[in-house]
Amino acid sequence: MEERVLVDATVLLGRQPQGSAGVDTPRELLAWLGRVGIAEAVTGHLASWLHDPAAGNRRLSGLLAGQPRLRACWVVLPGGTGEVGSPGEFVAAARTAGVAAVRAYPADHGWSLTAPDGARVLDALAAAGLPLFVDAEQTSWDEITACATAHPALRLLVCRPGYRVLRHIAGVLEACDNVWIETSTLATHQGLEWLAGRFGAGRLVFGTAAPLRDPAEAVTRLLLSDVDDDAVRAIGGGNLRGLLAPSGVRAA
Amino acid sequence: MNSLARNVLERRPLSGVTVIDAHAHAGPYSLFYIPDADPAAMVRVMDRCGVALAVLSSHVGLQQDAAAGNRATARAVAEFPGRLLGYLTINPWHDPEAELAAWESDARFAGIKLHPDLHGYPLTGSRYAPVWAHASRAGVPVLCHTWYGSPYDDPAHIAEVAGRHPDVALLAGHAGGPEPGIDLSIELAARCPNVILETCGSFVTGAHIERMVGELGPDRVLFGSDFPFIDLRVSLGRTVFARLDDAERAAVLGGTAAALFGVSPASRTGAGDEQSH
Repeated sequence: MEERVLVDATVLLGRQPQGSAGVDTPRELLAWLGRVGIAEAVTGHLASWLHDPAAGNRRLSGLLAGQPRLRACWVVLPGGTGEVGSPGEFVAAARTAGVAAVRAYPADHGWSLTAPDGARVLDALAAAGLPLFVDAEQTSWDEITACATAHPALRLLVCRPGYRVLRHIAGVLEACDNVWIETSTLATHQGLEWLAGRFGAGRLVFGTAAPLRDPAEAVTRLLLSDVDDDAVRAIGGGNLRGLLAPSGVRAA
Repeated sequence: MNSLARNVLERRPLSGVTVIDAHAHAGPYSLFYIPDADPAAMVRVMDRCGVALAVLSSHVGLQQDAAAGNRATARAVAEFPGRLLGYLTINPWHDPEAELAAWESDARFAGIKLHPDLHGYPLTGSRYAPVWAHASRAGVPVLCHTWYGSPYDDPAHIAEVAGRHPDVALLAGHAGGPEPGIDLSIELAARCPNVILETCGSFVTGAHIERMVGELGPDRVLFGSDFPFIDLRVSLGRTVFARLDDAERAAVLGGTAAALFGVSPASRTGAGDEQSH
């Protein structure tokens, strides 16, 4: 039987301004995740979200050098201001750096996924095989549907969906084959089971959103779920591996 | 790693400990879709997780009609005796005295549930006076929703009421909600020995539970999940993986609640099988 390896899609290094939880180093992060049975993670940095995307991305890649169990998730911006380069320059740098996925925070960073410059970002990510991770609170379900429909080659993971959104999720998953749902805050009673039964376990991706949430929550939610072991392996890591950019492009 | 955490990692229900969920509901909720929100499905989730007993108040009683909700709660407890117990929901606008009198001698109800935020009335208001009189006379705990910054049920409201009614056990639901509310709840509970902190919601973490136990003692903290409003396993995981010793964890998961509700932990074990899924 294939071994079950939990891979966290949505962990973040760094400190949050409005909360006490958070760790600064990969060593601390791996110890924290290991205590709840998580072996690997796609890792972003809170500095990329809450302070300076370009500097945060650089800092993240520096921290993750030599950490095979942690793969980087950079934050993207549209190209107009040049902060992270043009979309083409950004994805080239991301691939050279071995970035596994890209995050966008359009609400907090003041841009739109559906504007022309946002569309150029999404086109570049799709062409480079880089999945886009977006927190539900950073966009709208209508915008997610519009982006996924307009960019069918883009793989879009909606993160931190919350527990009050099955009606929205059902509509998006029905309409778009290229959208996945991350499970950190997918805390609807029996919601994971319902979504897996209705749309297949292949549409769900395990994440903890640590340090914004206690990683024990998502681990326990998944492992004590009423889905079979194959589904848990898929949700717990297999589906994410299928979404990520190949690791072989990491710079030496 | 503690044995309950190993159970989780091996996909087995918790075992060897009596788990009591002190904050449960039942039924649909208009703001969002909840699959399988009926009591039978809830008991199946309890079996899957190794939870022996849940103390619930139906959603309809909180959202819309207290009397209808209490009837629904009574039916659920009757359908699953020994697995479910009821909180009597009191809406201050829905004749509290009559509702208390109607169910006063009914053993299906082991406590009272208040939700000042949903009912738009402060916990400190006089419309709740019959609740305090009843709880004092009957010796039943009162579970109250609490939320930091609320004009109706901020932790400070809990402390004020706890001071007025020192013989009533007050369960602070969500322990004040966001992290500043958790901090405040711990501070106030340290001064109010009749306040017990309950651990469900979207903000409490294992680290917070460790602090609560460290500063107040394990007999002042109890596990609740809010299920099926939120999935039971979310809150359960925090306590299972928190850095507590075995006795502290057992108290938070069930011992504290067993003493409050007058149930025997020894007679209650999770009904879940021991098979891996």
